[in-house]
Amino acid sequence: MVESSIKNFAESVSGQSMADELRELEITHVVTVPDTHQRTLLDLLYESRDIEVVTASTEDEAFAVHAGLYMGGARPMLIIQHVGVFAGLNSIRGISTDMKVPTFALVGLFARDATKELRDNRNSAVRQITPLLDAMNIPYFELNSANDLRVIREGYDLSLENLGPVFILVGERTN
Amino acid sequence: MKRVEVLEAVAQRKSTGISVATMRVVPGWANNGGAETQHFNVVGCMGVASSIGLGLALAQPEKKVIVLDGDGSLLMQLGSLATVAGTRARNFYHLVFVNRIYETSGHQSIPSSENIDFAGLAKAAGYNVAAYIDDVGVLHERLPDLLQEDGPVLLAFEVEPEFDREPFPRGIPPNQQVAHLREELVGDGRTD
Repeated sequence: MVESSIKNFAESVSGQSMADELRELEITHVVTVPDTHQRTLLDLLYESRDIEVVTASTEDEAFAVHAGLYMGGARPMLIIQHVGVFAGLNSIRGISTDMKVPTFALVGLFARDATKELRDNRNSAVRQITPLLDAMNIPYFELNSANDLRVIREGYDLSLENLGPVFILVGERTN
Repeated sequence: MKRVEVLEAVAQRKSTGISVATMRVVPGWANNGGAETQHFNVVGCMGVASSIGLGLALAQPEKKVIVLDGDGSLLMQLGSLATVAGTRARNFYHLVFVNRIYETSGHQSIPSSENIDFAGLAKAAGYNVAAYIDDVGVLHERLPDLLQEDGPVLLAFEVEPEFDREPFPRGIPPNQQVAHLREELVGDGRTD
């Protein structure tokens, strides 16, 4: 048997395992502009009774709704696509960062070629997301396999510690 | 109708509610006592007042949440009307001050300033109640009942453009507002 010489930098993680992590964190609300990449996770959350999903029209709104939830005493987080980070940048700057709101988001790297490093991807949003986050001093972790699930708690805790945004980059489409 | 006439009338009815104000509404709301407790000013990120208010309404369903918004601000996130309506938040009251200009940047007209109908947009998006008020007598007559309706409610107040710039009040620094309001509402000193 000839082994494939192609290395995958990311593998699919189950939406159920990610949902379990969110329940461990006692998340009460998920604010989303639905992400194709994390569709299976969203499907589970929309059906759940213990986590309320709020669908926003734009990511700018989503980060603001999230901030209101947090101030009101909820334990919210966001699920968006990488292009949503670009779209919601003004709210990330003006609300999450400037107003010191602990902001934890699962960010799907839609159209990511898992055989390539992020920086070598043809898709511009995949290629440019980490330079953007570096420029904004926003910490991020990569979730590239089931072995990385711990970064969900690590990222959430860091957002509380920093009183600011921390993003998890979901490397492959969830199953 | 003057903006201050509306603010006076609304401030009298805030009671134990939560308020969110943005842009040129901020000084007048503070001067009328509306910002003393359970209040948040959105400055430096135009357009998101109603979204922040929605989050507060969802987290605190037993409290009335009053958003004091500008027409130019709302236009920046017009989709938020659908977002709000989709949640059916019964405690959400969205007050839009319609002067049809960008007051801060030099009185330029907002897009479609002669035609835009915010009450009509809200109703079409699915708000439970939407009303347009351009007369102070009607304001005093209808406001008490409108603020008792199940939300989401949008009230569009036609107000005169203003040229005198009220100074923004000294208050809680912007980067401390979040922690302050959270402490008021949750009161446990925790950040999580």
